[in-house]
Amino acid sequence: MEGKQRSNVKFVFLKCGVVSQAKGSAYFEVDNTKLIVSVYDPREIPKKTDYSSKGELFCIFKYAPFSCPNRRAHQPDADEKQHSAIVKRALESAVCRHEFPNFQVDVYILVLENDGSALSGAITAAGIALAQAGIPMYDTITAATLAIQGTTKLLDPTLEEETLCTVATHKSDTEIDYDSHGIIVLAMLSTHEQISEFYQLGNLDLETLNESVNILMNAAKDIVPLVEKCLVDYVTKTLKSNAES
Amino acid sequence: MELETNVVAHAFGSSRLRLANTDVLVAVKIETDVPSVDQPDEGKIEFFVDCSANATPDFEGRGGEELATEISNSLTSAYRSTKAFNLSKLCILKGRKCWKLYVDILLLECGGNLYDAVSLAVKAALWNTEVPRVLSVNLDGNKVEMEVSENVQDCVKLDIVSAPVMVTISKIGEHCVVDPSAAEEQCATASMVVAISQDRFTTVLQSGSGSLHPSTLKESLKLGLEIGSKLDQALIEVLRQRPAKKQVGFLM
Amino acid sequence: MAKQFKSLHPTKFYRDYLNHDIRPDGRLISKFRPVIINIGSIATADGSALVRIGKTTVICGIKAELCPPKSERPNEGFLICNVDLPPLCSSKFRPGPPSDLAQITTRFLADLILNSACIDLKDLCIVKEKLVWCLYADIICLDHDGCIIDACLLVLLTALKTVRLPGVEYDAAIDKKTINEDEQKSLSIYNTPVSTTYAMFEDKVITDPTAEEEEISSGLLTIVVKNKELCSIHKPGGSPLSEEKLYDCISETINHADLLITLINTAVAEQND
Repeated sequence: MEGKQRSNVKFVFLKCGVVSQAKGSAYFEVDNTKLIVSVYDPREIPKKTDYSSKGELFCIFKYAPFSCPNRRAHQPDADEKQHSAIVKRALESAVCRHEFPNFQVDVYILVLENDGSALSGAITAAGIALAQAGIPMYDTITAATLAIQGTTKLLDPTLEEETLCTVATHKSDTEIDYDSHGIIVLAMLSTHEQISEFYQLGNLDLETLNESVNILMNAAKDIVPLVEKCLVDYVTKTLKSNAES
Repeated sequence: MELETNVVAHAFGSSRLRLANTDVLVAVKIETDVPSVDQPDEGKIEFFVDCSANATPDFEGRGGEELATEISNSLTSAYRSTKAFNLSKLCILKGRKCWKLYVDILLLECGGNLYDAVSLAVKAALWNTEVPRVLSVNLDGNKVEMEVSENVQDCVKLDIVSAPVMVTISKIGEHCVVDPSAAEEQCATASMVVAISQDRFTTVLQSGSGSLHPSTLKESLKLGLEIGSKLDQALIEVLRQRPAKKQVGFLM
Repeated sequence: MAKQFKSLHPTKFYRDYLNHDIRPDGRLISKFRPVIINIGSIATADGSALVRIGKTTVICGIKAELCPPKSERPNEGFLICNVDLPPLCSSKFRPGPPSDLAQITTRFLADLILNSACIDLKDLCIVKEKLVWCLYADIICLDHDGCIIDACLLVLLTALKTVRLPGVEYDAAIDKKTINEDEQKSLSIYNTPVSTTYAMFEDKVITDPTAEEEEISSGLLTIVVKNKELCSIHKPGGSPLSEEKLYDCISETINHADLLITLINTAVAEQND
């Protein structure tokens, strides 16, 4: 891992309209990480009596029991709840909430196989699913993950690389002082140049953080053409099949 | 800001912090546990936040649960790095026994800026925590037998110099504001929480919806770092000035 | 125009189609939907499969763990299946504890595996009374468009055929387990039960209904066959069915079973190559 730099986003596979029962859905695959997102129509917010002028987003992020090397329980644990909150915050800035007051839109994310970067993949896929469902949005939302260990920076880390970067290692065999290490997830609305979610773990200093923000912003921008192509393909296909029938 | 330590007698360490209208009580309990398979030479630390209904009527019943989960998750992320809090010091016997710290946080009053108050109170409580000294430990077949010092005063203090301190930065209009009150929090367009430990960031999270421009993000990070370091230093000064416990026998 | 008519009078809409012996998606009354099987896509699971019947999509991942056996059955391992119908797959399901349909399907599959003896739990034993394999088969529905039991059964059996267990050496004296990853043993599957679902609508019996058809039908019937014999029948209430119609359904299922079994075997053979 010494001195390795990976500043190009890995090959990403995106497809929308995969779940026929859902209003909008998307499938995201990068290397071995596979996840599926489905979005349902706005419905009334349960257990709420007062009127709110903004719509709500209800996000559930779940790992399938067989998606990680250790089997996960069916109950959502603290990690999954935190990831659900992060995805919800990221999507809230992208969606025009004033268009569906007093309603909530359900977003369900299921990770089929986790080989790192599941959170950023989920945000990108959720953005596509929302767009396909016809929920009004301000901009396309994309996200990327960066893992840092010492001087090595890796984009879209695999699960092994992620675990390595959450552990502090000594600067060298003789020094007791620990090195910088961490994982950063950044979600961005590219045309508006707004960062909608920023999540950092580990131990980093300010310049590393600033550099990483720049790297992540470029990475997130690189994914935008893929997202747009996926949506355009879907629209052309639907129009064609509507014209034929 | 008012800080008091050792307020809960039967806990291993405790503290109470008052910051304007925010009141937080923290108690630390220690138990022995088997270390996890992936990290056999490290202890464990677990945070539990309870938003009591006394704080605001919104927390009645299960209302405060979301906020509680968010705060405990952010504390877990902040303390995850070994550099911030060295869990290997909590190990008793590698792969067999370790100390597990249960940090319980009770929110008595909510007046804005919860993350900062909670992180300061947790740091003070951990400073105040006394881990019983382990005299000997040996492996008998499959069972671990350990002898702990009988003397109540003979304990080991935890090294919390690098424990993280959180700072909330809100963007109101054109400016980045630190330590927002409840009213300021309501009108902020975006806010983030940074955990600083010795000039480095251990965790950065966003609280509340709202997006930031990259330059605003960088500015807030810089501001957070400055304020966080100052706050950290001030806290350590205050804690160091506390007198050590005197041994007083009943005859004297 | 057709869409409005369908939402206002769904039963009449459907009845009009059936009177011409054809269904809204263009199929004949006794025509099955195309079945697609995909194997071994999940690298983190010890065995996995994905099955698609029409639009219904179900994925199964099997994870193997080591554990001590039950004292009353010291030489048998465990196979624990769980069917999850998450809110992801259909707007009918809400987040929270498993729905009634999920629990019924789980129970039905568990009973079926036990009664059909398709795997022998004694094969999962490593050291009698001390160490056995425990297989967790988690079945998750990704898209619910009818015939959920058929899809779940098919995906479970396919996934079982793809399971690869590493060799294990166990030293009882010091309680030490050594896993040998190079040695890969597959499970022996003794027979393959397969099923088909039928829906009753007025006086007609419709094969392989979609979710819409299931909703407007007056009753559902699932028939499970193995080795050209009847294995199990699942009929949760619904309108009564005459004996001859039932026998017709059983023979239809037996004919279709051959196709499904060939499909599974082809897929597994291709993966082994």
